Amino acid sequence: MSPASAAGDSGNPALPASPAALASPAEAADALRRSVARQFGRSLHIRTLDTGSCAACEQEIRLLTAPHYDLHRLGFFFTPAPRHADLLMVTGPMIRAFDIAARKTYEAMPGPKLVVATGACALGGVYQPDAFTHGTVGETLPVDVWIPGCPPSPLALLHGLLVAVDRLAAKVRDLTFTRSGGDR
Amino acid sequence: MPLWFARGLRRGVVTTRYPARPDPSAAELPTPPAFRPDALTRELADRLSLVCPSWALTRNGDVLIFDAGACTACGRCREAAPGAVTASGEFELAATDPAHLVKRIPLLGEGP
Repeated sequence: MSPASAAGDSGNPALPASPAALASPAEAADALRRSVARQFGRSLHIRTLDTGSCAACEQEIRLLTAPHYDLHRLGFFFTPAPRHADLLMVTGPMIRAFDIAARKTYEAMPGPKLVVATGACALGGVYQPDAFTHGTVGETLPVDVWIPGCPPSPLALLHGLLVAVDRLAAKVRDLTFTRSGGDR
Repeated sequence: MPLWFARGLRRGVVTTRYPARPDPSAAELPTPPAFRPDALTRELADRLSLVCPSWALTRNGDVLIFDAGACTACGRCREAAPGAVTASGEFELAATDPAHLVKRIPLLGEGP
């Protein structure tokens, strides 16, 4: 944020407290992460990266810009260049032949930046690690948010993007995927 | 005034209100399974882990380990054991740590 706009937003909750006011480095890191998420919550540019997916994830990502989901109303935009992107949306099982390209794409993005692993392949589901694939995106890139699904529906993608910018809470941690006999 | 504008006004807004309100189409999405621990035997857990095509289900002792990140919501476990497995209906599954997606389902405890 430029000094001029910072002065205009006096008392901006997005700005972290001064480092002296924070007790520990972990607390400072958390405050910084939250302030970055708040900045991104207003406008975020997404670059998609296909690392060997079947294109079903791309099809669902493409639907986000359709009138029914209308991604732009939430301040998210797609950009064709990693140099303009804040968030890298990675699909596919991260084939080993793509290592250099994935790293170059990540390094070309200006910081701060987020990485979202999208789909079951990217989360280690469909392909086991072998000579051709890593089997998961986390092996090559530092992933911030993981979106399951094969493919993840546009609603699931929306939820994942809003989790990435701290506008919605990730609730999967509290789900048990069990159901007692009385239900249903 | 073009007719499509009046028609759009009459039919209402087509865009989902998703983050603010639930989307009606979410009920039709394929979702990962939910298990009934009181109906899951070891033998059934082994059968389910063989049926799963994406290595989302493994049995470890008396616990069925379910990786919701690896699950493709194909429904084969539901078909194999309709009494013990149902659709969970959960689609908001984004996680900030992949460990949050790995669930431990307790089994009934009786051997085959």
